[in-house]
Amino acid sequence: MRINRFSAAILLGIPLIYLIVFFVTPLGMVVVDSFSNPAGELTLANYAAVLGEAYYWQVLGYTLWIALVTCVATLLLGYPLAYYMSLIEHRRTVRRVCFILILMPLFTSNIVRSFGWIVLLGREGLVNETLLLLGIIDRPLRLLSTEVAIIVGMIYVMLPFMVLAIASVLQNMNGSLREASRDLGATAFATFVKVTLPLSAPGIVAGTLIVFTLSISSYVTPRIMSGGRSVVSSMLIYDQFMLVFNPFLGSAIAVVLLVTSFALIVAYTLIMERRPGRGGAS
Amino acid sequence: MSRRLSIRLRDAAGPALISAIAWLVLAYLVLPLVVVIAISFTTTEYLAFPPVGFTLRWYQRFLADPSYVDAILLSARLAFGATLIGFLLGVPAALVLKRGRLPGTQMLANFFLSPLILPAIIIGVGVLQISGTLGFARSFEAMLVGHVVIILPYIVRTTLASLEGFDISLEEAAQDLGASGPATFFFVTLPLIKPGIIAGCLFGLIMSWIDVEVSIFNTVIAQSPIPVKVFNYVQYSVDPMIAAVSAGTIYIAFVLVLLLDRLVGLDKVAGQQK
Repeated sequence: MRINRFSAAILLGIPLIYLIVFFVTPLGMVVVDSFSNPAGELTLANYAAVLGEAYYWQVLGYTLWIALVTCVATLLLGYPLAYYMSLIEHRRTVRRVCFILILMPLFTSNIVRSFGWIVLLGREGLVNETLLLLGIIDRPLRLLSTEVAIIVGMIYVMLPFMVLAIASVLQNMNGSLREASRDLGATAFATFVKVTLPLSAPGIVAGTLIVFTLSISSYVTPRIMSGGRSVVSSMLIYDQFMLVFNPFLGSAIAVVLLVTSFALIVAYTLIMERRPGRGGAS
Repeated sequence: MSRRLSIRLRDAAGPALISAIAWLVLAYLVLPLVVVIAISFTTTEYLAFPPVGFTLRWYQRFLADPSYVDAILLSARLAFGATLIGFLLGVPAALVLKRGRLPGTQMLANFFLSPLILPAIIIGVGVLQISGTLGFARSFEAMLVGHVVIILPYIVRTTLASLEGFDISLEEAAQDLGASGPATFFFVTLPLIKPGIIAGCLFGLIMSWIDVEVSIFNTVIAQSPIPVKVFNYVQYSVDPMIAAVSAGTIYIAFVLVLLLDRLVGLDKVAGQQK
């Protein structure tokens, strides 16, 4: 379709202005606030406070640690599921059921999903009851408000993203490559390691990037699963804005989180692009 | 012979193992949802899983509480309002990005998708700041503005994707035969890209409906969308009534998944995710 310049300017201009006003400008304001004090003067005091205090480093480190564990765990759990879905391409009903089961949690609020885990991980919850029944433990474990609870909840919330990212790559993969490998005498395992796994690398990279990005900024799940203690950066940001009413310090914490995550994402992307066999810089 | 047999056994064992793991993972994905639904029917005053007996009392109680009904209506107004605005902004933007032959469209397209990779909590904080400056902090409008920012990328992306796999000569034929730009769009382009737009809008609707992070900075307790209301409640206590409220949102998610399947097909939707 040919669109004349005037219509194009209006059709694209309005959405562009919307994002500039309600997305770019607010971010700019957060950055400016992070360099300001209540009197409206420019200052580095917020960053001095954030970077000079061991507590903030600990929280940032813990945020990254949770995100890393979540990434690895969702990859280990999500890959087999995504792979399974690529094996049952011809069984449409089963595939559809898989998609429904993956999308259902994704379409349910984090808060409702975390609520389910509160029940499961309680003193008399299903997890403790099962472990008792199996004789693995002899008295109920305290699971709620622990690191285990936070990680279980985070893995749960992030898993659908990982599965879908990998599944979309596996589903578009040329099946004849796998067949060729088998016809040439490779075992199923060798075919998987030498053919399928390398070809699905873009899905793994996309999945880990999504999960990592969403994990480090996740607020609801860690808040509910930690029992309210402020353990990750997003909770500190919330506290500063909504409880302590210090948006300046809150903005500085937000900017530090943002810069750290961008730096890690860029580094990760560069490393993955340099992997041998992708024809990158190597 | 025996070597062949062992290979065949190993070849059968691999897929069996994978499907076993896959179904365990699927069970893990639905277990918490099943638990929430189950306990919403319990006759006990406390959370019991498995539930004791069967009652609809908790549903009656929450439906009789105007504050929950209001929260659901508020969430619905937010989601539909944000999706409508997102549609009006996102579809034309995608159209020009794909058809406009403008310089730098790839960069602009990335810009339209960028709210996806930014932490929602920071978007929430940012909207609080800008709405404060413009004089509508902590209001329905502030939440609406923020929700449009987080859902716009979904609509732009699916529209871009459907314009991608589409025979451009159909549009050219219409215009060569004398159809105006708008006529071409409404009678040729729109019917062809409709599934993509529907998928994007439904995704946007859902992302707004389940959002806590943007809303929580831009509302007051008395005017909370349903996920924020549940969030504020669950932090202090959990009871079967809040399970009924939560179960209600799961039923809605189920309806939306079926709707997506019927209108677009789940395979296609999943490819668009994030």
